[in-house]
Amino acid sequence: MEIRKTRLYRHPLPVRLTHWLSALALGVLAMSGMQIFNAHPALYASDASQFNHPVVKFGAGTNPDGTPVGYVDVGSLRVTTTHVFGYGPDGMGGESPRAFPSWATIPKYQDLADGRRWHILFAWVLVACGAVYSYWAFRLRPSRSDIHELPHTLKSHLIPWKLPRASELNPLQKISYFAIVFIVVPIVVLSGLALSPSVDAWAHWLPQVFGGRQFARIWHFGGMIALIAFFVVHLGMVALTGLVNNVRSMLTGWFVVDQEKTS
Amino acid sequence: MKMDRRSFVGLVAIASLTGCSRIATSLNENETVRRLLRAPEGLDLALLGAAQPLAREYTVNDVSGDFRQNGFDPPSSDEYQRWGKNGWRGFTLRVDGMVNRPTSYDMPALRRKFVRRSQITRHDCVEGWSVIGKWNGVLIADLLADCRPKPLAQFVVFHCMDDDGAGNAYYESLNMRQAAHPQALLAYDLNDRPIPVKNGAPLRVKVPTQLGYKSAKYVRRIELVASLGGALGRGGYWEDRDYEWFAGI
Repeated sequence: MEIRKTRLYRHPLPVRLTHWLSALALGVLAMSGMQIFNAHPALYASDASQFNHPVVKFGAGTNPDGTPVGYVDVGSLRVTTTHVFGYGPDGMGGESPRAFPSWATIPKYQDLADGRRWHILFAWVLVACGAVYSYWAFRLRPSRSDIHELPHTLKSHLIPWKLPRASELNPLQKISYFAIVFIVVPIVVLSGLALSPSVDAWAHWLPQVFGGRQFARIWHFGGMIALIAFFVVHLGMVALTGLVNNVRSMLTGWFVVDQEKTS
Repeated sequence: MKMDRRSFVGLVAIASLTGCSRIATSLNENETVRRLLRAPEGLDLALLGAAQPLAREYTVNDVSGDFRQNGFDPPSSDEYQRWGKNGWRGFTLRVDGMVNRPTSYDMPALRRKFVRRSQITRHDCVEGWSVIGKWNGVLIADLLADCRPKPLAQFVVFHCMDDDGAGNAYYESLNMRQAAHPQALLAYDLNDRPIPVKNGAPLRVKVPTQLGYKSAKYVRRIELVASLGGALGRGGYWEDRDYEWFAGI
């Protein structure tokens, strides 16, 4: 049996454009979102804030010897995170009490007004990408056979660099992309809208779906973490399964696949 | 020195993030980019400000134990202290500008002359937190009707008694449509007691469909104008510092 390389036009232009544009948008949204979070670095599992009972809280204090300390509280668990979270680089050349460090925020210094401007502009960019991409998105819907083949695909992913370069998305790709596009991103968008008092006046049910406005911030924040986790794994898989071919296909549309030669 | 793979990946990640943050920060200073960053506000206002549905109203059981204080320190003037000590005797609210009947009201007049309206609504701070409070007060629409706005009046400007400590007084503004919203209140009570000094005594705005900074505290004068700009800047203390004038998001 002979393996032949074939070029395949895999990603039409709108898919490539919305891929890169939404990647940019999600990056800016995450970093400006951290800027916004810095204005009140605490999350509450309720509608109004219960200031004495945060679920998550970033904070700063001082050690007995007077040196500053940064921490993250998750419930009753305290994790010391000095120089990164709670107390860290302030973008002005020093360090100060600050939930997310300057290197993770847009702008780098503390600036809620501009953080919000970046966030809202790129939220619109993401929505525009979603509107265009929706035409192609349904090809991500996993079929019955995708679900059936999932255990096999999972096993083959243990050695990602040996994965065959197939013409179709494999079941694991389909299911994870589907989860991002149809579950995680909608949760992030809707929980973000639930933070808007004007949107809430239109849809009283929206914050309630998430357990209240403050709880919606938890969903919004958790969605961001899920997206970051996806991004890390996605980059890893892109690199391990043929970096050049993968990136080239998302730039030019053309993907090289291994095909069994039939004679 | 040997570096393990994990810390190498970590360093690369931090370096890339630093790069992105620096590029965005320098773009943030660029005038064209700033215009672009301000662009969505008009769209947001057009989409969300056209019809103005009512914000959700809560029950007494939902009221937050403490209504968090934020913003500037309470006004420090002797006059304000004296009014506070005397149960706001001597204090008057002035409504003027483009109205046919410029009027001053003292607190008893506001409480007596106008229908008392109540709302239990959520206050969402731009910083991210929320508190729920019960407000009693005068509908801004009722107050304006009493002063008879001129047809060319477009904005209602609230001049306040608190300042940022550097001499810049707080102020805010709504357009006529927002001021006519059936929940746009000039409140005198919080949780059925006169508003505490920390929350804006004796009079503050409450607009539950927008972020907290629109709900100006320590209101002293309401001025109707045909346009913002000039001495009025972008229509608010925080707006002059690049926060959105339409704070519905």
